[in-house]
Amino acid sequence: MTDQITTDPTKPSQRMRAGSMTLTFGPWIVAAVLLAVLPFIFTNNSSITIMNQMWITVIFALAYNMLLGQGGMLSFGHAVYAGVGGFACMHIMNASDFFAALPLPVLPVFGGLFGMGLAIIVGSFSTRSAGTVFAMISLGVGELIAACSVIIVAFFGGEEGVSGDRTYAMPFFGTEFLQQIEVYYLISGWVLISAALMYLWSRTPVGRMSNAVRDNPERAEFLGYSARWVRFYSFVASGFFAGVAGGLFAINYEILTEENLNTTSSGIILLVTFLGGVGFFFGPIIGAIAFTLLQTVLSLQTELWAFYAGTLFVATVMFFPGGLAGLMMMHVPVFRLGKARVLIRPYLKTLLPALIGILGLSALVEMVFHVRHAAYGDDEMTLFWTTFNSHDILPWVIAIGVTAVALGITRATAPALREAWNDANTAGGSA
Amino acid sequence: MSTPALELSGLKKSFGKAEIIRGIDLSIGKSERHAIIGPNGAGKSTLFNLITARFQPTAGTVKLHGEDLIGLEPFQINRKGLSRSFQITNIFPKMTVFENVRCALLWSQGYKYSFWNLVNRSRDLTEGAEAILEQINLTERRNLPAGTLSYAEQRALEIGITIAGGADVIMLDEPTAGMSHSETDYITDLIMKVTEGKTLIMVEHDMGVVFGLADRISVLVYGEIIATGKPEEVRGDPKVQEAYLGAALEAEH
Repeated sequence: MTDQITTDPTKPSQRMRAGSMTLTFGPWIVAAVLLAVLPFIFTNNSSITIMNQMWITVIFALAYNMLLGQGGMLSFGHAVYAGVGGFACMHIMNASDFFAALPLPVLPVFGGLFGMGLAIIVGSFSTRSAGTVFAMISLGVGELIAACSVIIVAFFGGEEGVSGDRTYAMPFFGTEFLQQIEVYYLISGWVLISAALMYLWSRTPVGRMSNAVRDNPERAEFLGYSARWVRFYSFVASGFFAGVAGGLFAINYEILTEENLNTTSSGIILLVTFLGGVGFFFGPIIGAIAFTLLQTVLSLQTELWAFYAGTLFVATVMFFPGGLAGLMMMHVPVFRLGKARVLIRPYLKTLLPALIGILGLSALVEMVFHVRHAAYGDDEMTLFWTTFNSHDILPWVIAIGVTAVALGITRATAPALREAWNDANTAGGSA
Repeated sequence: MSTPALELSGLKKSFGKAEIIRGIDLSIGKSERHAIIGPNGAGKSTLFNLITARFQPTAGTVKLHGEDLIGLEPFQINRKGLSRSFQITNIFPKMTVFENVRCALLWSQGYKYSFWNLVNRSRDLTEGAEAILEQINLTERRNLPAGTLSYAEQRALEIGITIAGGADVIMLDEPTAGMSHSETDYITDLIMKVTEGKTLIMVEHDMGVVFGLADRISVLVYGEIIATGKPEEVRGDPKVQEAYLGAALEAEH
């Protein structure tokens, strides 16, 4: 948790208050500036599209982590709250009279309310217990609502989904949101507001008790709190922000389909959140950014991007259960001890060959894929800016050789890295 | 006589055919320090769990200040002013020591399920939690995750959490189990200090602690109370000697 800041024990309250001011506002100001400046750095349209998707995923992942990381509830069907919020927004877009009187930036509120409404209904029975029971109910409800998409055609639009036009909204200070960049700033505003609200939520009594119930529901009950109601409130709040994400999706893509509800989408948000790290508030943000980059940038490079994303997920679960955020926060004590320098050389020595080894492995995967799946006679493939014949022996020898050597070096230098890591985490000694 | 703080009558509990608690009648007055002793397997912890609704009794009633507790959930009982600790340390291991105590204060300070207050803006919460930490001598451990404390410190923290909500009936389940002599003394003093003016009911194995703390003692053997009274009376009771105390006292020396 981000609140484990060591303070001067002699004057705890004063130090904490002074410290919390800079800690509270600093990151938000940085985030706001970044959001505002990014479109000037990545100016082309596709980058803006990617960023739009990224920030929507950020909101959704943060909402998801209110359950998973903070409340200890593993949901396998959270896409339905975002989806239903999104569908509701599409219908509002199509209700021309009402929509013409509604400024577009307000629309996600309705998405949130619909997501929240559904969460109130489902949460009323699913939050009775956490753990497996909750996970199974979430899966069942998720499947049920996804299946409804072809049954209740009036709301979900059947197989072709529901589409609309965001520009019919009441102009917002003269903006009609015709351009992608205008939508970008709308989404950016929402990501900032939602993230701040979700962060503040985690500092409220019910947010704190959510952590307590996650750690030890029985103890929480003996402190006067019903574990069930604490879970319920977290669930409803999470449903609201998921709905906001759904509403933004509706604005950005102007179409929602069954895909927004199904278990694949629910699975992806679990993956995103876990990849980023459930133990820290900002974990899901990192996860959403990393995953969206994988999804968009890597998918342009290779058809197998989902394979790599899956591998990364498994590796995260196995080796870094704290996720990317956990990996980053592991280094905080090192910096605090002022021994980050100790790590630079061992890191280069181990991680550089490791990177080459991983790239080599992926090259082998790509080559196998090409040999097996490319059209007959299409022997040419391009990998890392080199074009070669995938049926020749030489590229294989090179790829296997480089991979083996790189992984060999990684293995040989790993003990030194481990030692350096231990050294960097011990106070005093040789720096 | 005023209404007793806690009153049990005809309390029974069976698990299948096994009768664990076989009809207990016990009345504990206000501001009394009451110890429940007995050999292993006598049903002491079960009795605690029945009172605090961790288990539902098979028969009988539990009354707190004259109010029936049967059928209530643990959190409702807690709100009525009864708080307990557990035999196996039961805290929030991943949260900081300070947060553990602060969570214990939330309900009693009237925050309920509010999401429009920020916990670190409330001076009452911060100061209240700090006062409790001061009482249980954990001020210096304030920002450590509770799971990293030593065993005795965790037990002290649990006592802190138990009393923090301001409950007037405190139940402690073997607060000094598994502790060294000095740790036991520390916890005993602590219990003495924090339960001043409150009703204390505790299960305890350490006879030194029991005779040092308790105003009255009940001896529980095979699900029945065979004696209740002042420490001296209980100590002299031949039935108790036979069933339990003799052996336990001999083991002590």
